[in-house]
Amino acid sequence: MAECKGGGDRSPSSSMDSSTHPVLSTTSSGCQPARRDLSTDLHLGLSLSSASSLLAPDTKSIPSKPRNQVPLDWPPIKPFLKRTLTASARRRRTLFVKVYMEGVPIGRKLDLLLLDGYDSLLTKLCHMFKTSITYADVMEYHRRVPHEKAAYVLTYEDQDGDWMMVGDVPWEYVSSLPDKREETEDCKNG
Amino acid sequence: MTYFPEEVVEHIFSFLPSHSDRNTVSLVCKVWFPKLRVLTVKGKPHFADFNLVPPDWGGYAAPWIEAAARGCVGLEELRMKRMVVSDEGLELLARSFPRFKALVLISCEGFSTEGLADIASHCKFLRELDLQENDVEDRGPRWLSCFPDSCTSLVSLNFACIKGEVDSASLERLVAKSPNLRSLRLNRAVSVDTLSKILMHTPNLEDLGTGNLTDEFQTESYLRLTNALEKCKMLKSLSGFWDASPVCVPFIYPLCHQLTGLNLSYTPTLDYSDLTRMISRCVKLQRLWVLDCISDKGLQVVASSCKDLQELRVFPSDFYVAGYSAVTEEGLVAISSGCPKLSSLLYFCHQMTNDALITIAKNCPNFIRFRLCILEPRKPDAMTNQPLDEGFGAIVRECKGLRRLSISGLLTDKVFMYIGKYAKHLEMLSIAFAGDSDDGMMHVLNGCKNLRKLEIRDSPFGDGALLGNVAKYETMRSLWMSSCNVTLKGCEILASKMPMLNVEIMNELDGSSEMEENPGDFSKVEKLYVYRTTAGARGDAPNFVKIL
Repeated sequence: MAECKGGGDRSPSSSMDSSTHPVLSTTSSGCQPARRDLSTDLHLGLSLSSASSLLAPDTKSIPSKPRNQVPLDWPPIKPFLKRTLTASARRRRTLFVKVYMEGVPIGRKLDLLLLDGYDSLLTKLCHMFKTSITYADVMEYHRRVPHEKAAYVLTYEDQDGDWMMVGDVPWEYVSSLPDKREETEDCKNG
Repeated sequence: MTYFPEEVVEHIFSFLPSHSDRNTVSLVCKVWFPKLRVLTVKGKPHFADFNLVPPDWGGYAAPWIEAAARGCVGLEELRMKRMVVSDEGLELLARSFPRFKALVLISCEGFSTEGLADIASHCKFLRELDLQENDVEDRGPRWLSCFPDSCTSLVSLNFACIKGEVDSASLERLVAKSPNLRSLRLNRAVSVDTLSKILMHTPNLEDLGTGNLTDEFQTESYLRLTNALEKCKMLKSLSGFWDASPVCVPFIYPLCHQLTGLNLSYTPTLDYSDLTRMISRCVKLQRLWVLDCISDKGLQVVASSCKDLQELRVFPSDFYVAGYSAVTEEGLVAISSGCPKLSSLLYFCHQMTNDALITIAKNCPNFIRFRLCILEPRKPDAMTNQPLDEGFGAIVRECKGLRRLSISGLLTDKVFMYIGKYAKHLEMLSIAFAGDSDDGMMHVLNGCKNLRKLEIRDSPFGDGALLGNVAKYETMRSLWMSSCNVTLKGCEILASKMPMLNVEIMNELDGSSEMEENPGDFSKVEKLYVYRTTAGARGDAPNFVKIL
């Protein structure tokens, strides 16, 4: 899996937003309801912001983002709704996986059970990492979108330790798996 | 006015068509106070809903309840919003008004279920107990058992915001002896079986908030529920659901065709396919509140199924990851083209475009309330990277009846020029992270003739704008500015020019003592709240609030 210099122009430094994400679980295994260890999550957040500024000195600053992170009193939703949704997230089953972008030691986490399919997963990851990502049929993707620069490819490590392209296994099966999985983004030259 | 016979005054008032005009004139004379039957009081500013107002700011209900207890014992209805209510206050309320019929508390706090126990125990003719999204301390289920056997007058009972358990037997007994019950909203602790039993006693129910629908899936329970629901021929509005399991959704299907209102905004467990299977059957739907899990695809289904839709609210389900949402401008464009009667919108999304807004404005010129929240502050048009001035400009130009507007995304002073020029009926405007200079705010103050409430956060408006049209504030209910560029000096000038306004500033970080040491300082004011007063400065302000 060769390291690639093409792919996303924008660095994952915007993923410092994860430091405003207090409900990430520290466990990435699925079935048991996650007990939230907030201290670890906050620590992750802080390391990320300093590490990413070292890793991405040539970041093109995205004009729409405020200089600071998104404020804690945003978005403007009522406390009752916020409390209800937060409590609900705590109660529900979760399936958190870690996602790493190749070359970046600090990863992101997301709950697969909040997504309804591979399309949603891609959209969310593209948003989190601010880059184009593809999965399953890379050739298909490049045939459909020939002008786009080399994208990152989404892969995962299965129980046997093999690295596999994401997308072949039906989503319903994926979201019912109890075992711990890690996914990494990889780059393929276009 | 005391020299006019009452009959003459009443006759004159009967020519006033609108509630708000009659309200206004009723405030003029103290003589009428003892005859007060219905009192509505609102406390904290709207932005208190978003944690922008520090705790202990005020809005205490006690003085109002005490004054009413002394002066108008005929009080029958009390409605309070964003107030701090205590158990002692509720006890006083329960004991002071022998004809008391209705208590409505919205977004209030400071009381517990023990206060509710007093209301239940002592208000013999209670028709309405409506608790909407309050923060209520749970002190046990006793309160629901406190309704005496003689109380059979309940028409509306909403305890959806109560966190704790309720006693099912008491609840069933209460419902069984309330033949006039039209609206019942349960909390998440009520089981499916209890709900089924209750519904056997409520054939005239029009509005239902379910309990929890996440029991270990037992087919018999859900079948009983369907049977019970089918008896409620008048049922038009449904809410609750909470962490509803998708498998329970089909059991609601028999009701869908008659629903005009559906609130699924507390239900992140249903994905877009569960939601669309339900909503596509709700052909008479007028009001839909839903989470963004519905996605653009789901909104297209809504657009093709719900032709009578008037009000749509789409809330963000995953607000911790900045800017992420499954809905975009496409969902809203689809809704606008499928649902031309749409008049009220609250839409959280992660991106928007000018083209979309222009299309939406043309499709739905009947908007009265248009609130758009793009989750990432200052985000530009997702296609062109331009500000969204033209899009919102189209909204205010086409929607001539617009009364309430919330704007977001990347916006320059130009959008305010459009708002001032076209939004002639606008009464409430909410601004966040928008504008370039004082000109922006000036356009609004000078142009929006009917403006009543203006709330601004994180925008670069300063003293020039604050002081540019001070007479305007006398015609408005309130002005809120936080994290803007107004200074202490500017606020002091405003206060000295306009003695009939209360100019409250809140600087939590500095503390009030520091401000007193340096009067006339050009330090920025963190939070400013300006409102009209006939009684001067209030006496219950905490340390961090300074009233100039």
